[in-house]
Amino acid sequence: MINLAQRDITHSLGKFLTTAAGVGMLLGVVLIMIGVYRGLVDDANILLKDTRADLWIVQKDTLGPFAESSRIHEDVKNQIKAFNGVKDVSAVTFQSLQLYRNNQAIRVFAMGYDVGSFYTPHLLIEGRPLIAEHFEIIVDKKTGFKLHETIFIGRDIFTVVGITKDAVSSSGDLMVYFSLPDAQKLQFLSSNEQIRNDRARGNKDTSTTTANAIIATLYKGVNGSQLAHEIEQWKHVKVFTQEEQSTILTKNLIERSSKQIGMFTVILLLVASVIISLIIYTMTMGKIKEIAILKLIGASNAVIVKMIVQQSVLLGVLAFLAANLFSHTLVDLFPKRTILISSDALMLLVIVTIVSVLGSLFGVRSALKIDPASAIGG
Amino acid sequence: MAYAQPLKLTLLVPLEDEMKNTSQSVIKVEQLSKTYGKGENAVKAIKECSFEIFKGETVALLGPSGSGKTTLITMIGCITEPTHGKLTLDGELIYDQKWRISDTRQLRREKIGFIFQSHNLIPFLNVEENITLVPLMNQTNHLIARKKAKELLDYLGVGDKLSAKPSQLSGGQSQRVAIARSLANNPKIILADEPTAALDGERALSVMHLLKKLASEQNVAIVVVTHDERMIPLFDRILRVNDGIVSEETKQTP
Ligand SMILES: Nc1ncnc2c1ncn2[C@@H]1O[C@H](COP(=O)(O)OP(=O)(O)O)[C@@H](O)[C@H]1O
Ligand SMILES: [Mg+2]
Repeated sequence: MINLAQRDITHSLGKFLTTAAGVGMLLGVVLIMIGVYRGLVDDANILLKDTRADLWIVQKDTLGPFAESSRIHEDVKNQIKAFNGVKDVSAVTFQSLQLYRNNQAIRVFAMGYDVGSFYTPHLLIEGRPLIAEHFEIIVDKKTGFKLHETIFIGRDIFTVVGITKDAVSSSGDLMVYFSLPDAQKLQFLSSNEQIRNDRARGNKDTSTTTANAIIATLYKGVNGSQLAHEIEQWKHVKVFTQEEQSTILTKNLIERSSKQIGMFTVILLLVASVIISLIIYTMTMGKIKEIAILKLIGASNAVIVKMIVQQSVLLGVLAFLAANLFSHTLVDLFPKRTILISSDALMLLVIVTIVSVLGSLFGVRSALKIDPASAIGG
Repeated sequence: MAYAQPLKLTLLVPLEDEMKNTSQSVIKVEQLSKTYGKGENAVKAIKECSFEIFKGETVALLGPSGSGKTTLITMIGCITEPTHGKLTLDGELIYDQKWRISDTRQLRREKIGFIFQSHNLIPFLNVEENITLVPLMNQTNHLIARKKAKELLDYLGVGDKLSAKPSQLSGGQSQRVAIARSLANNPKIILADEPTAALDGERALSVMHLLKKLASEQNVAIVVVTHDERMIPLFDRILRVNDGIVSEETKQTP
C-alpha cells in the first residue's frame, strides 16, 4: 500500500520542514525553560554544598544567614571547637556587594572565611586559595576579572589570587571570597561615609569581631543532630545540620522563585501543546479536498486516519529533534546556569507525542465528518 | 469529427420483463427520492424515480442545470444518502429506506468507477499512484496493479505520464488519467458527471468514444451526465431529468 503520509510530506517538503522547525523552536524554548528551572534549583545549593560543613551555628531564634539576618560573635567559634567531636570551625560572613569593572557595576555575593580553616572554595579552577590575612580576593570567572587583576573595594585595593567556576549564591549571584577580617571590615564598617555617620550618631558598635555564622566539620561517626542539640543547650545559639540548612534554603528561598519559573514552564508547555495541536489540526484541515477525494474513491477511515496520525507524529518527532538542536545551541548564551538533561528531553518527547496524537485526533474527528460529495464539482 | 461515425444502434427501450430474461441488471432504482434540508427550506432534488440499467449499457443523463442529475448519480454511487426508495447494485440491495450495507466505501472501491467534471486526482500522488491506489486498497498485488495502470495509460494515450504529478498535466491529460483511475478496479459501473466539460469538442468526443468502447468490451454499465447534445447518438439510452423527475426518452434511429 502506498504511504500517503510520506507522499504528502515529500510533495510539500519545504513547508513541512519549516513547520517542524518552527514548532521545534517553540519546544526548544520549553527545554531551555526547564533547564533554567533546573539551573536555579541546582545553583541555590552550590554555596551550601561547597562549604562541606556538618553544622551551622547561627544567631539564636533565627534560621541562619540564607534565610534572614544572623549575627554571631566570632569568638563563639573557639567555644564550638572545644566541643567533643568537632573537628574544625570557621566563622563566615555573607553579603551582597557591588564591584566595578571598567565602570560597570557587577553584583556579587561575598563570602568571608577563616583563612587556614577547613573551608576553602572548592570550585577554584585557577590560581590559589587565600593565604594572606588581607587584600586578597577570589572571584568567579564570570565576573570577568582576571588573575592578578586589582580591584578597588571600599577603601582598599584587592588582588585577584584565584578564579572559581560556576560559583554562585543561592540567588544566582556570582561569588567572591575574602578573608574573614576583610569581609568583616566590608560588611560592618563599609565606607568612610558610613563611619562618619556612625560616629555622628555615637554608635560605636562597629565591631569587626562579628560574623554571620560559624560552620563546623565533625569527626567521622559523630551524630550531627545530637551534637547540635548539645551545643544549643550550652550556648545561646541555634545550630543546624547541613541538611537542615539545605531544607531551609530550599523552603524559604528557592521555593517561590522556582515555583515562579516552574509555573511559567508549565504554562509555556501548555501553550506549546495548544499550538502544536492547532498546527496539526490546520495541517489536516488543509487536506479536506484530498480527504474527500479519498473517501469518494472508497478509501477506508483507517487509511485516512493512518495518514493523519503518521504525519502528526512525524511532525512531533522532527520538531522534538529541532528543539534539542535549538536548545543545545543556545544554552551557553544564558548568563545563569541552564541545565539540559536527557530525562527532561525524554519527558518532553513523551508529551509531544501525546499532544501530536491528541491534536491529530481532533483533525481525524473533523476529517471523518468530511462529506465525500464535497469533492464533486467545482 | 473522425469519431462521429453513425453507430448502428437498435431501438433500445425494452420492456422490463423482456430485459430481465436477456440481460443482467446492474443498477436498479425504485421510487428513489432525495430531499435536501428540512421544513421550509426542503428541496426535493429527486422525486420518486425508477429505472433499471443493464450490463454493458451506456446511458446519458440529460437535463438543465439544477434538475437533479448530480444528486441522482451520487445516490447511485452511494455518496449521497437517498431519502426514500430502494437501490440495488449488481444484484445486491444497497438502500431500502436506509443503508442496507455497512460499508458504502468498500462497495465504491470494489464496484464503481467515478469520473467527475474536475479530475479530482490526488495532488501529492503521481499518476501511477493515483491509479493504483484503489486496486492496492482492494489488496490487488502491486505488480499487477502497476501493470494494469500502465496498460490503461497507454490505452488512453498518456503512457508517458506515469511518474508525473497531476499539477504537471494539462486538463485533457488529467481527465484521461481520471478515466484510467475509474477503470483500474475493474468496476461494474462507471458513473461520470460531465466528464468532458473541461475538454474541447474533439477531445470530449474521443473520451466519449472511449467510454463507449469500454462498455462494450468490458461489459461495464456507464452512466454519463452531459450537456452536449452531440454526444447523444453515442449512447444506448437517454434519461431526461427535469425538476427532479426522471423519464426515459425514446431514441431515434439515426
Ligand atoms: N448538498 C445540497 N444541499 C442542499 N441542496 C442541494 C444540495 N445539492 C444539490 N442541491 C439542490 O438540489 C437540486 C439539484 O441539484 P443537482 O443535483 O446538483 O443538479 P444538477 O447536477 O442537475 O445541476 C438543486 O436545486 C440544488 O440546489
Ligand atoms: Mg451537477
